Amino acid sequence: MKKIFILLLVILVAGCAKKLPPPDASLSLKEKSAKETTAEPVKKETVKEVIEQKTAKLEETSDASKVEEASVLQDALFDYNRYDIRADDRPVLDSAASFLKKNAKLNVLIEGHCDERGTNEYNLALGEKRAKAVKEYLTSLGIMPARMSVITYGEEKPVCTEQNEICWQKNRRAHFVVTGK
Amino acid sequence: MKQQKSVVGRQKSPGSKLKAGVRKLVTRYSLLVTFLLVICHLSHVTAADAKVYIDITSPAIRQIPISIKTTASFEAKEIESIIMNDLEFSGLFLFVAPEVPGAEIIVQSEVSVSADEIIVLWSIIDLVENREVLKKRNSAPKKSIRAIAHNISNEVYKYVTEKEGIFRTKISYLVYSSQGNKDLYLMDWDGNSSTKVIPIGLTSSHAWSYHSDFLMYSSERNRGWKIYLLDLNDFKEKLLFSSNGLNIVGNSSPQDLIAFSSSRDGNSEIYIINKNGDNLRKLTASLGIDVSPVFSPDGSSIAFVSDRGGSPQIYIMDSNGRGIRRITFEGSYNTSPVWSPDGKWLAYSGMKGGKNQVFVIKSDETMLRQLTFNGNNESPSFSPDGMFIAFDSDRDGKRGIYIMRLNGDEQRRITPKGIKAMSPRWSPYFKN
Repeated sequence: MKKIFILLLVILVAGCAKKLPPPDASLSLKEKSAKETTAEPVKKETVKEVIEQKTAKLEETSDASKVEEASVLQDALFDYNRYDIRADDRPVLDSAASFLKKNAKLNVLIEGHCDERGTNEYNLALGEKRAKAVKEYLTSLGIMPARMSVITYGEEKPVCTEQNEICWQKNRRAHFVVTGK
Repeated sequence: MKQQKSVVGRQKSPGSKLKAGVRKLVTRYSLLVTFLLVICHLSHVTAADAKVYIDITSPAIRQIPISIKTTASFEAKEIESIIMNDLEFSGLFLFVAPEVPGAEIIVQSEVSVSADEIIVLWSIIDLVENREVLKKRNSAPKKSIRAIAHNISNEVYKYVTEKEGIFRTKISYLVYSSQGNKDLYLMDWDGNSSTKVIPIGLTSSHAWSYHSDFLMYSSERNRGWKIYLLDLNDFKEKLLFSSNGLNIVGNSSPQDLIAFSSSRDGNSEIYIINKNGDNLRKLTASLGIDVSPVFSPDGSSIAFVSDRGGSPQIYIMDSNGRGIRRITFEGSYNTSPVWSPDGKWLAYSGMKGGKNQVFVIKSDETMLRQLTFNGNNESPSFSPDGMFIAFDSDRDGKRGIYIMRLNGDEQRRITPKGIKAMSPRWSPYFKN
């Protein structure tokens, strides 16, 4: 942080580099405020922690349902640059719906994902459309919308990193995470 | 804008400075080029964008021979190499060893170093006019050696072109962390002095404010995509906008309005808000995806991406949301629009042959040029003088940040091969 501060001071002050560098007092004051503000966000949850929490919550559920989750809550897959539910997604989502009906106390987070092609911003929007399409489909099967939240990760969290269609297809997915009771 | 104003100012009083410019021009460029330029120059004397010099993107330019004479210390050599790298990349200069005759400009510098300070006494000598045209003394903390060198580059560049150099500007970009996050970093335009700015969360789109006083970015924290501002004076972060759904920031206008996309009403639409988080206005309403809004440099228009026509394409609308028109028609996937600083061009990434490439198109659609050809090339961003474009590319394996001249020449990687980096955003000029 010190480094960046000096850099920024240089940007702002050395524009006229003939000016003398600012006195030490003001430098340290600015440094202090920089440290304070950056220290604050570090305390917040990192995405890794969020993921770890999700995993932890998953493990809290009973062993029986855990086995069932693994077999029932599969990813719904999508065509390139599309967000409509494919015919072959329906059995997957129908199983998800019956799982959610059986386990009325569980909620799910639906994550929308994309393959790496295309740009991040557009893929974030596309991932959200996919997650929402799944949510709408499950709603139409009678699952309460309040039990389903959505998040998009766009192309940020691939399950497969090779550059071929098999891999891209695995990444174009809506993924379920059980978020507890 | 600042630069344009000064050009206009010069136009109004086409007196001694202009004459000096023409004289320099006549003495420096080969006969044919000179002839063409003078014709061109004379015919455009009253045009708003008349250039005293040249279109630096023209391959026909004769480069100006230049030498650097400096003292022998380590610091002096470092400064020399930074200046050479700066000026060479501009394409306007040809470096000549100091002992070889032929230089038309000599940069002379004496570097002295104390315990914590570096002092550079330097001058520009114009051998065509046979006089010392500038002499300055710069002092700064030792760590600022690169800034001192870039400052000298800017002065030399300005002497020759009468335009602001970009050698003290910065580029913000994203770096993949080992935890699967993406962190926001800053670096000098040449890839040096890289520093992490935002250490947490998954940061996506980001931009410099028009007045270079804050950075704006979208981060995913606690399962929400929110928009944050980072004040570059006190380094305090504040939340600008959050809602249910996806919120992605675009950029800001000269009036400090911020354009962004939000799916707060269920569908991703374009909004504007002021930098205090007030006066939210929704500008689009379509069934498809509307994302990536960017204000034109004068704030009058917004370019954005929409799939309303069936595939993602670039559209422009007035900044009140009216007059929506499609700009890109070639290819079925065109995204990431950015305006050139003069507002005449848009750069974007477009899919061609299954790969993303950087294109530039005139905002009146009259000209389209593909600038990259190897690998995937995305996220273009103009330098504040409009002469260069930063972008990311996976042409050498791991994605990294590259820069090139406006015509696609001199494409070079500026981030190390070991790190995976993307989404460069070139800063505006910094105010002194």
